[in-house]
Amino acid sequence: MSVFRPGFLELGRLWETKPLERNYEVVIVGGGIHGLATAYYLAKEHGIRDVAVLEREYIGFGGSGRNTAIVRANQRTQENVRLYDEGLKLWPVLTDELDFNLMFYNCGNLNLAHSEAAVSSFRLAINTANFYGVRSELLDPQQCKEVVPALDISDRPKHPIQAGMYHPPGGVVRHDAVVWGLAKGASAHGVAIHQGVGVEGIDVDGGRITGVRTSEGRIGCDKLGIMAGGYGTAVCAMLDIELPVNPLTIQAMVTQPLKPFLHHVVSSGAYHVYANQTLKGEIATGAHMDPQVNYTTDVTAYYFKHQAEALTDFMPCLKDVRFLRIWAGLADMTPDMAPILDGNFAYDGLYLDVGWGYFGFKSGPITGKYMADFIAREEAPEILRPFALRRFLENRYMGETATAMKYGQWD
Amino acid sequence: MTRLPRSSALRIDTDRRLRFSWCGSARAGYEGDTVASALWSSGVRTFGRSFEYHRPRGLYDLEGEGASQLVSIDGVPNQSAGTTLLREGMAVAAQNVRGDPRSDAFGFLDRLDRWMPAGFYYRVFHRPHAAAHFVHNRMRAMAGLGILDVSTSGDPGRREEIFLNADVAVIGGGAAGMRAALAAAGAGTRVCLFERRPWLGGHLDWRLGLEGADGPDSPRARGRALAEHVGSDARIRVFTSAPVTGIWGENLVTGFQRVGAADPFVERHWECRARTIVVATGALERPLVFNHNDRPGVMQADTAWRLARTYGVSPGAVVVFSAGDDLALEAALDLLSLGVDVPAIADSRPEGQDPELVSRIAESGAELLTGWAASQVVGRRVVRGVQLAEIGGSTRREFPCDVVVANAGRQPDIGALSCAGARFRHSTHTGSFELASLPSDVFAAGRVLGLTDSVEIEATGTLAGLEAASACGASVSGTLAAARAEVAEGAGAPPGTGIVRGPDIGEGRKAFLDYDEDGTWKNAVQCAALGFDVPELAKRFGNFGLGPGQYRVPGQNVAMAMAEIEGRPASDVASTTVRPPIIPPSLATLAGPNHDVHKRTPLHEDQAARGGVFRRAGAWKRARYFSADYTCREEIRNVRENVGLLDSSPLGKFRIWGPHALHALQRVYISDMRKATRGRCKYSAMCNDTGNVVDDGVVIPVGEDDYYFTTSSNRAGSTVEWFRYHTRYDGWDYNLLNLTDALASINLAGPEARAVLERVTDADLSNDAFPYLGYRVIPVGDGVEARCMRLGFVGELSYELHVGASYAQYAWDLLWDAGAELGIRPFGLEAQYCMRAEKGHVIIGAESEQRVTLLDIGMGWLWDRSDTASKKVGAPALRACEEQDGRLELVGLRIDDAGHRPEDGAIVVDGDRIAGYVCTTRVSGALGYQYGLALVEEGFAVEGTTLSIYEHLRSDDVRTSATVVPPHFYDPKGERLRV
Repeated sequence: MSVFRPGFLELGRLWETKPLERNYEVVIVGGGIHGLATAYYLAKEHGIRDVAVLEREYIGFGGSGRNTAIVRANQRTQENVRLYDEGLKLWPVLTDELDFNLMFYNCGNLNLAHSEAAVSSFRLAINTANFYGVRSELLDPQQCKEVVPALDISDRPKHPIQAGMYHPPGGVVRHDAVVWGLAKGASAHGVAIHQGVGVEGIDVDGGRITGVRTSEGRIGCDKLGIMAGGYGTAVCAMLDIELPVNPLTIQAMVTQPLKPFLHHVVSSGAYHVYANQTLKGEIATGAHMDPQVNYTTDVTAYYFKHQAEALTDFMPCLKDVRFLRIWAGLADMTPDMAPILDGNFAYDGLYLDVGWGYFGFKSGPITGKYMADFIAREEAPEILRPFALRRFLENRYMGETATAMKYGQWD
Repeated sequence: MTRLPRSSALRIDTDRRLRFSWCGSARAGYEGDTVASALWSSGVRTFGRSFEYHRPRGLYDLEGEGASQLVSIDGVPNQSAGTTLLREGMAVAAQNVRGDPRSDAFGFLDRLDRWMPAGFYYRVFHRPHAAAHFVHNRMRAMAGLGILDVSTSGDPGRREEIFLNADVAVIGGGAAGMRAALAAAGAGTRVCLFERRPWLGGHLDWRLGLEGADGPDSPRARGRALAEHVGSDARIRVFTSAPVTGIWGENLVTGFQRVGAADPFVERHWECRARTIVVATGALERPLVFNHNDRPGVMQADTAWRLARTYGVSPGAVVVFSAGDDLALEAALDLLSLGVDVPAIADSRPEGQDPELVSRIAESGAELLTGWAASQVVGRRVVRGVQLAEIGGSTRREFPCDVVVANAGRQPDIGALSCAGARFRHSTHTGSFELASLPSDVFAAGRVLGLTDSVEIEATGTLAGLEAASACGASVSGTLAAARAEVAEGAGAPPGTGIVRGPDIGEGRKAFLDYDEDGTWKNAVQCAALGFDVPELAKRFGNFGLGPGQYRVPGQNVAMAMAEIEGRPASDVASTTVRPPIIPPSLATLAGPNHDVHKRTPLHEDQAARGGVFRRAGAWKRARYFSADYTCREEIRNVRENVGLLDSSPLGKFRIWGPHALHALQRVYISDMRKATRGRCKYSAMCNDTGNVVDDGVVIPVGEDDYYFTTSSNRAGSTVEWFRYHTRYDGWDYNLLNLTDALASINLAGPEARAVLERVTDADLSNDAFPYLGYRVIPVGDGVEARCMRLGFVGELSYELHVGASYAQYAWDLLWDAGAELGIRPFGLEAQYCMRAEKGHVIIGAESEQRVTLLDIGMGWLWDRSDTASKKVGAPALRACEEQDGRLELVGLRIDDAGHRPEDGAIVVDGDRIAGYVCTTRVSGALGYQYGLALVEEGFAVEGTTLSIYEHLRSDDVRTSATVVPPHFYDPKGERLRV
């Protein structure tokens, strides 16, 4: 073999398949970005290599493989801005560490405001971001049009554009690549990744986690990380832990591929739309959540049509474009749109990383890094402390939205 | 233009010549041609360039199945040449090319494939990071197919939407679908039949029978006869040119319909809610994977056949077949009968061919090579020949030709069934997928079941139609049993080889599994080697089946190829889920008329005429300003000094009555509602379970166990459910009626408000007779009854009049005329917003958010904390939070810096952390200074504290300061309200 042969032409398994052991120091439930990242950092930064990631389907089956790949850090509250900002800065570092092209495309995000109230909330987010050194600017409609020429900034649309929040550090990352890259990195550091192993029960003894019962038999462990995305509530239910989390279906779709014309992520709360053009040229666009609590990933004609109505209203040049595919995933929604990151609270050895709603992708690797620290040192890192479950017991919501999210019969 | 001899199957009108252009050069076709058939007949072989390698691509299929046949038409990208009918004057152009599609400038990429293994871009170009962005942009520029003109507002044509209802929706208008429709209609059910092609008959339409004469027993004649029956049955509604996009929950079938020039619409979106569904979508050709199987000139058997019979176009001068089923042999014979030179026919099946076809081929002089398949195409830009190879042997033979017809047999078109929730498994018998389970009320018939015998195809159609009718409650007991028996007698699906690839694939560099995104067999091998052993992962990493053709062209081949590569049995293979749309619809058609649905008050037009600037506010459009001065200085001044009129009709208005009405009020309102008295407005708030204020308004007892109350506009829609939800376990007897839209609301505010109102009513409006917070029902004008409240949201003497919505304009005009001499003017929401802020009146969402409770925003005085019996919503949270440290609190701000006023959303900072934020600031003409309302941590909420305020404005950091003051600026004692 030639010494000049570049590494990318070599065809070895990116991650190893290992026999399933009967005991691990740490078992992580969920082979998505959060679970794989936590395992990766446990092995790499804390030397804890006796780690198994259990995935019921295949890695990246859930939200990690179904999201629209958008990353940003322009959150509403300071606790969240700090975490997401670190997360944003991690993509290039991780790309290098994993030696895997995560395709972080730092194109910037343009979020549209269609009312005076939305402009005020943009100002709050912009001020909060810039106070912490995160770039974010308020644009007038003409400036929005300069950034995204496809926009209709006239008074014709149902929701005329009043302003934009332009956030240059954000962009998109290839979501599947993050899953595969983390699997590669975790495996290289000794983590065992087991696909097709579903957790069916959790064993406790004297207030401690002792193991999990799986489709492949019982597996003992000292520490258990529940990082199962939309299915986190179902896993916690095995311990009779009821979380303030509502799993909701959220749908996304792509159009046929087009030559690049949309060079930024564009989003609008009023239209319930976010869209970006993928590396392949498709317009990937996400919709609002289905309002009823469920665990299905069913797609609906309603959102298929709604998304076409919304997109063509504020970007009319898309009228002749065709939708190619629609799919759905689960969003594990908390009332305050912030996640639940906690450990050793109900049982010793139990660690929880759930409730990300639709923010789970952009936060994945950075949360994995801190959750690994939490699990290794058995003490919550300062940056994660505000996300503890007890904030709900104390009525101290985090305020990622002005109004608390409520799902159920009447909202 | 070379056209074959006319035959009865022809779907073009050769008397109507249509001119069009291809990449700028003039061409012509006929009425009835698709863009693809017209291009092929005018000698165009290269339709465009491929996605990754920029390889030349031609006409592979006529069903709009893949990227190869996507072209730009009249500047609109990604149009399907195979399914778009030719129109006079069309400008058709190739996609993904620089220059002529035959000699594309990026064609060199094809030679770089050695350096582009599966997913190579995941493993290169990422170092150094600075260069990665550059490379990423270059890759983006290379990607995509069609070019979209962002300056257009899209196709201007009107789109219609129709909503259908059927007992039985039949998908597919071939023999099976038509028989299903006839059987279901015969049983008395209402049927909608959807066919994606412009005619009924399915694949029978171009089959004239082995005699080639279209005799009375020919397949085509049979198809025409069935179509006539269907067309004359009034219980069947037929939709042709109507592809199905999806089957969704509760048997909702959606699609679109391409319509002709005579239709007033350019396309139609349809939705059909069906009780039952029959899927008869037929079969697709499974591509044969062999070296250079993508060269222009390689095509499906049906493509060659339909070019010849439907469009009268010779597919080529010399056509070599590599067949996988009897239909392809029949196609070869038919081409021979039309005089096309077919020197050789390879058939990948070693045996099992229809003996009659075999003997006829022998008679024709064409050479039939059973157990052979195509191994390699000769020719770089177009097909110049093909090498055929003995499967499992070493014999190779090369044939010069300009067209290679190749398939590996047929696969059921599982799209619609998969969307409906059917499951499939691999069958080693057919070498393809077969139905494993069907959801209830969905039935399948015909070739989608793997059948090829025409009698069986029709029998399953009849059975499916009867079963569907039976599921709708039709009485079909006798015929159903007979139909079942007939199907049971059939031989079932014939065997197939399950072969995916040609014999020499190992040496081939370019044998395509997926034409759309240039996924090769070699890429599949690389995926497996890299560990992407799960088909869903290989699909994503290697880009198989994610392009414009979706599941169709790579179809089952990817899963079967992965099994072969990994040495797993084919029976292990599972089909991946097909996701809608089955056929891609345009966004414009899907969006339809896209009506702007909003509510307008009865006074909308009047306000518009008076210069109102409207904004959407929840479900409503409301006047926010009445001039271009968005500070509303004049509107506010006129209310403060004179009198103004506001249309507040969206305000929530309710009547609650019944023995337990008070119980319900006690539950949802935080105050002691027993203290509400007749003739007086009782102000209170509603909290949610976490103690946040969700609503405020007034409650007025108007009779025995009978109350009238108001809510904020945003809550009007959810109030009834809120009451019901929070009293759902109590069994209380009360009625709750939403009067929001039935009653209009007009606010008359300002020092002259009484003077105006006195002119339109006889009621005694003196301060003693009708004091502040009073409620009276008064007659206005000719005796129109108005519910009148003396409130003071904006801080002035004001009356809120609720009148029947149909009297709104009358009452408004009365007040307008009465106030004319007093200088009455309208004011909008922004003026109201400013004036209430000067009063320190909170607006939920502006100064109240999820982090603050009733207590935190200074409204704790409303809470009747002694009442635990009513189980007031939010009371437990308020109790729990009452003594908590570190909460946000509402404060007033007096802004010190007269030069710069921080805007809404400025943040309050404490060193390197954030300690709160500014909700609202305004300049007050009445006060003469800048003021604001803010939520700050309790340590900063002490009166007199100087707050440090940070803003990022136009790329600059701006710091200002403000002093904490009580949040009541204007007329803090409320004297102006009580005059």
